[in-house]
Amino acid sequence: MRFCLGLFALAMSAAPPVSYERDVQPIIAERCQGCHNARAALPLMTAEAVRKSALLGAVSGERPRMPKSGPPLKPEQVALISQWIAEGGKDDSRGWWSLRPLERPSGRNSIDAFVQAKLRDAKLEPSPEADRRTLIRRLTFDLHGLPPTPAEVATFVTDPAPDAYERLVDRLLASPRYGERWTRHWMDVIHYGESHGYDKDKPRLNAWPYRDWLIRAFNEDKPYSRFVQEQIAGDVLRPGDPQALVATGFLAAGPWDFVGHQELKEGTTDKNNTRVLDRDDVVATTMSTFTSVTAHCARCHDHKFDPIPQQEYYNLQAVFSGIDRADRPFDDDPTVHQQRQDLLRRKQAIQLRLQPLLDRVEFATSAEIVALSNSIQDASLLITHMGMPKTPAEAAQKAELEARRAKDQKARQLLVDAMVGPATYAEIDRMKAEFKPIDDQLAMLPQPRFVYAAPSYFDRAGAFRPALLPRPVTVLVRGSVNSPGAPAHAGALSAVPALKARFDDAADEGIRRAALANWITDRNNVLTWRSIVNRVWQYHFGTGIVESANDFGRMGMKPSHPELLDWLAVWFRDDAQGSLKKLHRLMVTSATYRQRSAHRADAAKVDGENRLLWRMNRTRIDAEALRDAMLSITGKLDTTMGGPSVQMFWFKNDHSPIYDYARFDPDSPGAYRRSVYRFIVRSVPDPFMDRLDCPDPSVLTPKRSTTITAIQALAVWNNAFVLRMAEHFAERIGHAQDPLEEAFQLALGRSATTEERRAYAAYAKKHGFANMSRVLLNTNEFLFVD
Amino acid sequence: MQRRSFLWRSGGGFGGFALAHLLGREAQGASKGRPEFNGGLHHKAKAKRVIQLFMSGAASQCDTFDYKPLLNSKAGQQWDPGEKVELFQSNPGVVMPSPWAWKQYGNCGKWVSDLFPETATCVDDMTFISGMISKSNIHGPATFMQNTGFILPGFPSAGGWVSYALGSETENLPDFVVLPDPRGMPPNGPANWAAGFLPAAHQATTIRVGTPAPIHDLQAATDAKYITAQSERDGLALLKQQNEGHLADHEGDSRLSARIASYEMAARLQLSAPAVLDLSGETKATRDLYGLDAPLTADLGQRCLVARRLVERGVRFVQVWSGADNGFPRRNWDSHENLAKDHGELGTALDRPVAALLKDLKARGMLDDTIVYWTTEFGRMPCSQGSKGRDHNPFGFTSWVAGGGFQGGVTHGATDEWSYKAIEHPSYCYDVHATMLHLLGIDHTRLTYRHNGIDRRLTDVHGEVIRPVLA
Repeated sequence: MRFCLGLFALAMSAAPPVSYERDVQPIIAERCQGCHNARAALPLMTAEAVRKSALLGAVSGERPRMPKSGPPLKPEQVALISQWIAEGGKDDSRGWWSLRPLERPSGRNSIDAFVQAKLRDAKLEPSPEADRRTLIRRLTFDLHGLPPTPAEVATFVTDPAPDAYERLVDRLLASPRYGERWTRHWMDVIHYGESHGYDKDKPRLNAWPYRDWLIRAFNEDKPYSRFVQEQIAGDVLRPGDPQALVATGFLAAGPWDFVGHQELKEGTTDKNNTRVLDRDDVVATTMSTFTSVTAHCARCHDHKFDPIPQQEYYNLQAVFSGIDRADRPFDDDPTVHQQRQDLLRRKQAIQLRLQPLLDRVEFATSAEIVALSNSIQDASLLITHMGMPKTPAEAAQKAELEARRAKDQKARQLLVDAMVGPATYAEIDRMKAEFKPIDDQLAMLPQPRFVYAAPSYFDRAGAFRPALLPRPVTVLVRGSVNSPGAPAHAGALSAVPALKARFDDAADEGIRRAALANWITDRNNVLTWRSIVNRVWQYHFGTGIVESANDFGRMGMKPSHPELLDWLAVWFRDDAQGSLKKLHRLMVTSATYRQRSAHRADAAKVDGENRLLWRMNRTRIDAEALRDAMLSITGKLDTTMGGPSVQMFWFKNDHSPIYDYARFDPDSPGAYRRSVYRFIVRSVPDPFMDRLDCPDPSVLTPKRSTTITAIQALAVWNNAFVLRMAEHFAERIGHAQDPLEEAFQLALGRSATTEERRAYAAYAKKHGFANMSRVLLNTNEFLFVD
Repeated sequence: MQRRSFLWRSGGGFGGFALAHLLGREAQGASKGRPEFNGGLHHKAKAKRVIQLFMSGAASQCDTFDYKPLLNSKAGQQWDPGEKVELFQSNPGVVMPSPWAWKQYGNCGKWVSDLFPETATCVDDMTFISGMISKSNIHGPATFMQNTGFILPGFPSAGGWVSYALGSETENLPDFVVLPDPRGMPPNGPANWAAGFLPAAHQATTIRVGTPAPIHDLQAATDAKYITAQSERDGLALLKQQNEGHLADHEGDSRLSARIASYEMAARLQLSAPAVLDLSGETKATRDLYGLDAPLTADLGQRCLVARRLVERGVRFVQVWSGADNGFPRRNWDSHENLAKDHGELGTALDRPVAALLKDLKARGMLDDTIVYWTTEFGRMPCSQGSKGRDHNPFGFTSWVAGGGFQGGVTHGATDEWSYKAIEHPSYCYDVHATMLHLLGIDHTRLTYRHNGIDRRLTDVHGEVIRPVLA
């Protein structure tokens, strides 16, 4: 398509010179670079490489040798390459778009000007402004994830003031419902979940303070730089602010392999691999989220398409090599907070000296010790396997095993003690005594709170022990822990111009994270500012200016409106000083946003996907908005904010925890709270939300898919929650003077037509309001926002 | 083709776009099986469907299909394979012979232990892949790997990929169905069969065979007393009327018509799903074959029979789980403590139903184009853990496949003399997946989905079709 447009442009003008960037590069990218990538023997990643290659010969002739797969290049394509070479093979590329310097395009100053210029080029007219009823429904779902109330609709529709719309936007942005809505988007992007995932999917009971931090950050309109910095290194950059530590819950948002970390012995291949993959998740999350770069593609080899060497990927791993995911204490009182963190740091320093001595005990081994360990384990296995003894014989057997185990443990301890020697034990005792005064001081402090975040020091659990210092990281050849290569050094990506990509290999891991936080939020980081304005645009308009919100590289999509993207990035960084609320306001007050969403056959013929925005996109509301909308219109919505998540399932904290959604009563305490406060389990998703495309919390989801399936229809038609809400809705409208009018106003924001009144009244008369409500809650009009 | 004509007939003429939505094909790389390839995507398909039997917890190879006489002759001696052994939980114990005796079966003379005497009678139809290796020796990641090809959560399972590639042959049932063990979910839970980044249309539908509400939300909850058969019928009619009115005012949006059609498909599913699960029409001979009336085999017998009935009706991929989570008392194959007891119980419950499935499919002529795939996340060590158990062994284990274009009576790959490490034709799940996809008419390197900057495949960047085992 891109190519055709290029050709079209070519035909229109009088034989202009062929441009590498405009004409040739897209062909090479599409047909050659899949194999001739940066890692290939014959890379074709630059104009110079293409010019110097024997490409033209290979792709032309009756039976071209290249490309190896797919049809030969079209004659026009070969002609373009040929002409470009004939004209000297000049490199007119300005570099990859996302890495170009950020400059404010001149001459234009609003979203609408950029969008309309493109529409004019395509000879398309924008759509007229939508009616007010549509606008308030669109805006309220967009900014709050909720429908407007009938009173809100009436007020807005009849508001004669010229700035009625702007005031509506301001009112919505000032409501705490806004932060709840946009936090949910952020949770998708960073794959936030509240259980570990994998086998033995334990709940994370202290993840929620980070969720509350997000909601507050959005509602208080925390400047974007600080929003980013605090999530990566708030504990380091603002040590006196307890909430800045809570923000680092970001680093721990993703899945975590409980068994790999907690049950595997130190030093084993699988343990090392578990740690590499765990850090990979943090690197991928951080770089995808904030810079829209696929750095994680360079784990096994240099990035095939983008200028990211494997070394730099591991340099990013080295930034995070001093942390793990675990609960971390904090205090709401900043003075107490500071005291506790200082005391913990002192304990960490002692632990660092103590650990090698403890390891002498832990890893003391000999043939006899191993034999006793095996015998101890055998007894333990058999005892566990037996469970509660059921017969006297079993009880006796169990007692015998326990006695044997105790005897073996004692014998083993004696052997270990002899091997370690009294001097080491004395040293251990002396060092442990150093903890005493610190622990005494800690005991004097009030009880802390906890957030599931990324500490470098914490109480050991099983084989899961803190790093204390950054763990050594090397390049791993082909990504294998068994093939270590060159050492890695904390750093970021050299491809981003004008920034220093190498950080200090500080022994204090926090300094490394702070360096990355500063690198990402540097005003000259061209990726960061483009990335966030594109994300916000995507949630408002349905599709990003760059469709691949997490990939601004060569495998991603190119911007539909590159100048607009740059203009927004600079405007957001400089004029709005990183205020997301100002950015929202700018976008939703544009004429582009306020267009009708109606289909137009003529325009659809030119731009069927509406990439040029000749109309607004209609959206199917997502799982959370649907659930919250049902709660809202029944009058049941509980707007309590914050605190521990509501477990909307039956739970048994077994060896492998059990989560069962079918055994949950939709009227349970807390069940009417907004979906953002739902406890999110990784291994067992809520089937209702799942069928409505609520993403897997183990997947980074820059954009949700919207599917329509039979199984989804069954969920909306039959799920216990919906059926119960239908009853509550029936009860609510039953109290109204005109139940039918009330039902339509609440659910759809409009009156019923005469024909609808007739049909619904007849149905309600026969089957009652609850059945009628069930139908309304299933309508397309309820699920789609124009 | 069949799916398309159905919608044209009964859906009142929904356009191709609506259809694409409903079938989850609106997304990138939309693909579907092609008639000129016998339903395959890239080349002619030999197989049309897959039944996967997953032994959760790690079924031992050296107690089932990987016979090593050395374990008997060196029984009780300290095990020393000549190198440092890294075990999951323990230190290497003594060489532990299998608690079961071994016999040769079939024309091929395959050695099978007495744990599976009935399955053993089918060896001439089975292909054993005895050099399997896992990249992880932890249940969670390794179970993910056998399902999705990755040791991380968040990737689509093989069933999801097949659904994405081929769709089902029926409109009345889902493409991909999972029949979990009634004792509970395996490690990772339903994340094992999630759609990952594929559209949700390709996630599995879980059917809890033998429970009062086997499919979540298939019917309204019984405590919603206000719902009657008549209110249901009239309600769906009213909904359709309402949605069609709305559609008339909102032309050009295929999602709206797809949603109307989705309720009609849902209604068909409500009829067809209970019919699949109703085994009352099966003959006495079939009931006996699957062991439905013997307490030990009733559960798996029922689920294997349901699996056959599902694929018979056009479902593409059915997964049957033997074994639940790693809790106590042991309810999966993770026999660290007492292998004879735990493998014994699970194996006995499995043996007859699996043999029945193979024989039944064969008798119905369905084994030719149905792949039966028996797998587990990794194997177990030839030495003992404690006195009666075996620890994890990711270095060598056995999977087997049957039907669907696989040659019967062969064993591909081998472990060393101890059944410790795969030394001959080592295979990963990538190779098995590549081979299965190949038989389904799919080139595994060309079945891709772009996610987060990478064209993802079921086989990652690996996978070789195992040609020697193709018929």
